[in-house]
Amino acid sequence: MSVRRTSVARSTALYFGLTVAAVVVLFPFFWMVVTAFKEPGQAFSSEILPSQPTLENFRRVLSDFGFGRYFANSVIVATTAALFATMFATFAGYVFAKKQFFMKERLFTFLLISLMIPGMMYVVPQFAIINKLGWMNTYRAMIIPHLANVFGLFLMRQYMMTIPNELIDAARIDGAGEWQIFRKVMIPLSIPIIATLFLLTFQFHWNNFLWQLIVANVERLYTVPVGLAMFKSAHEELYTLKMAGSCISVLPIAVLFFFAQRYFIEGMTMGAVKE
Amino acid sequence: MRSRDTGGGEARRIWSRTLTSRGRENLTAYAFLAPFLIIFAVFLVYPVVYSLYLALHQVPSDSFDVFGGLQFVGLRNFAKLFTDVKFWWSVLMTLYYAALIIPSGIAVSLALALLLNNRLRGVAIYRSAFFMPYVLDMLVIGIVWTLIYSPHIGILVRLFESVGITAFSEKGFLGMSSIAMPSVVFANVLKGAGFGMILYLSAIQNIPRSLYEAAEIDGATSWRRFTAITLPLVKPITFFMVVIGTIGALNAFVEVYAMTSGGPSVDVGGRALGATWVTGYYVFDAFYNQWRLGYASAMSYVLLALTMIVTVVNRRFLGEKD
Repeated sequence: MSVRRTSVARSTALYFGLTVAAVVVLFPFFWMVVTAFKEPGQAFSSEILPSQPTLENFRRVLSDFGFGRYFANSVIVATTAALFATMFATFAGYVFAKKQFFMKERLFTFLLISLMIPGMMYVVPQFAIINKLGWMNTYRAMIIPHLANVFGLFLMRQYMMTIPNELIDAARIDGAGEWQIFRKVMIPLSIPIIATLFLLTFQFHWNNFLWQLIVANVERLYTVPVGLAMFKSAHEELYTLKMAGSCISVLPIAVLFFFAQRYFIEGMTMGAVKE
Repeated sequence: MRSRDTGGGEARRIWSRTLTSRGRENLTAYAFLAPFLIIFAVFLVYPVVYSLYLALHQVPSDSFDVFGGLQFVGLRNFAKLFTDVKFWWSVLMTLYYAALIIPSGIAVSLALALLLNNRLRGVAIYRSAFFMPYVLDMLVIGIVWTLIYSPHIGILVRLFESVGITAFSEKGFLGMSSIAMPSVVFANVLKGAGFGMILYLSAIQNIPRSLYEAAEIDGATSWRRFTAITLPLVKPITFFMVVIGTIGALNAFVEVYAMTSGGPSVDVGGRALGATWVTGYYVFDAFYNQWRLGYASAMSYVLLALTMIVTVVNRRFLGEKD
């Protein structure tokens, strides 16, 4: 309803509702964290908070079960992929926003249509291609197939369209070449959207479990989600360790979200609102 | 680009002579586009085509050479699919999943948006709290819920026991075929609601206040104001939620993988089928567990067809309404 001044009774009721909702929504994370700090035998004890919180679970998953290695792999894959995906989308978004070229409209429609294809569709043939290229169990198999981010291209295009053409024309009159215009005019003015896209693609690759499960089946290349899935099926009963691994898996994205939530929220919902 | 084939020097001469400003513009544009388009063509366009090729072939189950040893089988994969009870069951389960998650996702998102649409101190913190799960990994969230839902000693089972309900104790929420799917959906709704919430919130905040004021003067109750003003004006968001909800259901995989692996088993006319056996999971199972690449590809083509149908229907529906 309309925003208006609220009475004490009304605001108390609203706070109550908001708090109940927050407790329900955040409960899984709360439970994950408290369980991760419990001693192995205490996973199902009747106490909510661990009476003797321990870091032992974290120590064990990191040293005995290779989550340190998985974490490093996740960082390598997600950072590299985010860097290149953002770069390619910035290049492509720029020309779609500011240039006229052969087949522009048709290409754009084609990209638009490709967004509707269900992700499951790609899994088998992409795997076959990776296999054919001899890329199985390599970082490049985990990274390269997802570097063309069509959604990112749209975000870029949308944003760059708002940059006045006069700035580009002025730079051209001053003798700037194509690359200089891109580098010295477009990039500095697009920093917010570049940061947004970097965060979103980093998040996507950090969570891109299915693909990494398929193309990297040797332990030394596991990312955190894959390591976690493997750990889950091998040690179903080690609950406190599983939760410690889960904490490690969500921590980087949770921290990024904490510091840059505006970018996440705006970036993720921007494409949706502009129908 | 056509001049690529003719000899180098000659081509360059023709190129530079005929290179109008428009030609140069095209060249620059495609130079910028090249990295994106190459990846797009190789890893997003070609796979869709290759998938059809695979769907018309059979990969021998002992072969790991996906390109060699393929046996052309025509439409046999599709024919098999149409008589595969497990497949039709998966389509049914996907519809069931969609029927559960779309309305509940919309209701929760809208409720959160309405709660947030008040001038209260600290409302931004709640907004962040509700949105956060949306950016986190479904796999992890699924694994945590498996713990919460577990039988005998799981926290939720014990919570129900404390008020005298023991119906879930024996098998846990994910072990009972009747409630496994709603439980998977519940976990997923809580994870995803923050996204719809933001969309609804911005739509609601765009509604002119004068509308509500006029309604208030006319004596409309707050429920009436909600149904007569808010709901109709956020309809575009609701349609959008239905579209992405349907596509999400057709793609549902990680939540099922993390929580139930397609189970638990239900007996349907003497056949053991999975209570959460959605099509997305079946595609994965046919490919990853059974190594039936052709069959999995055929199935993914049916998924594509279903997605297209849904999109076209929604387009039409949307088009009429606006």
